[in-house]
Order: sequence, then structure tokens, then C-alpha cells
Amino acid sequence: MIPDTLAITLVGVFGITGSAIVLLCAVAMFRANDALSRINVFSPATGLAMPLILLAAYIYTLWHDGFSLTRLFMAVAGFLALIVVSSVASNVLSRSTFAGGAPVWRHTSPNRLSEAPGDEDAGLTEYESTLADFDIDDSEH
Amino acid sequence: MTIVLWICIGLLALAIVVGLCRVLTAKDMGSRAIVGDLVYFSAIGILTFIAMLVDLSIVLDVIFLSSMLGILATVALSRIQTRGHR
Repeated sequence: MIPDTLAITLVGVFGITGSAIVLLCAVAMFRANDALSRINVFSPATGLAMPLILLAAYIYTLWHDGFSLTRLFMAVAGFLALIVVSSVASNVLSRSTFAGGAPVWRHTSPNRLSEAPGDEDAGLTEYESTLADFDIDDSEH
Repeated sequence: MTIVLWICIGLLALAIVVGLCRVLTAKDMGSRAIVGDLVYFSAIGILTFIAMLVDLSIVLDVIFLSSMLGILATVALSRIQTRGHR
């Protein structure tokens, strides 16, 4: 269905790019300073590198076994699952890392996780919440 | 094709080694949890490329199931971090 040269080229490009992105994420973990940055830095590996490896695998099966509707469904479902599931997993892990007491950069704003639930000034800086208390329309800032 | 697949396996193995070095120097639990995730996904990639290398028919099954179930390890680690609280 696909000529040999094209299959090898596509598998090579997608597979090596995906693997290199995973390696770069591992190296970037040395350069990030806190746990939240490390979780953030890992997102390209699950959101971009793993779909690329999945694409390489799908092109390989297309070249090796021919087209099949089942395999197409598995590839598409796996692609969507990687993107959605890895985002949710990264969010859950970040929340629990914050709740577990990991240090956060002090100028982080808005920081809704550190405020009481139901606070109407949640996420505002102290200056903005003071303006909101007196109904001042500060359109210059 | 063999050379390409071995290059990919080598890059992913190198990523695992770099991640494990990071675990040795990490102080907090969150970094260790995310490196565990990195090792998991790298291992899935290596398994996929080995399946391509030896002509197994499970190439897509591996990555399909692991993408569906990959969240379980992460959620378990995050529950451990918060000592069971949500």
C-alpha cells in the first residue's frame, strides 16, 4: 500500500522526533527549579511525543499489514486518549503537589488554589480587591 | 527500518537514564512522581518499537491500552502525595 522508502522515512521522522522530544523533556527536568515547573515541562512528552510515536506505529502497521478499520479506530482512540488523559493526569498531579506543600513562586497570580473557596476576591491582587471593595472603576490600569 | 527503530529505542533508553539520575538528586515527592510518569511513557515507547522490530502484531494495542490506563499510576501517586485527601 505504501512504498518501502516512504514508510521508512515517515516512521523515521515521526519516531525519532517523538523519542527526541521525550529525551529533551528529561533533560529539561534538570533545568526546571521546582516540582510544578517539572510537571509543566513534562507535558510536551505526553501531549506531542507520544502521539508522534503512535503515528509512527500506525504508519508501520499500514505499511506492514495494510489498511484495517479496526486499527484506524484504535489509532484515533489512542490519539484522543493520550491528549485528554495526559492533560487530566498532569492537572491532578499538579493540584496534589501544590496541596502537598510544594513551594510556589511568590508572585504567582492568580493563585486560586491558595485562597478560601467562595471568596469573591479570589484570584485578584490585593490592589484590585481594594478597588473592588469601594466600587472604583480603575480603567487606566 | 532496523536502524531507525534502534535509534528510537536508544533515545528513549537515554531519556529513562537521565530521568533516573534526576530522581537521585530530587528532594520533593512531586518531582519523583513526574519522573515515574516519564519512565512509564518511555517504557511504553520502547515496547512499541520492540514490537515493530520483531514483527509482533501488538504494535497498536500496546499504545492504545497504555494511553487509556496511563492515568491510573499518576492519580495513585497524587493520592499518595496528599495522604488520601482529594
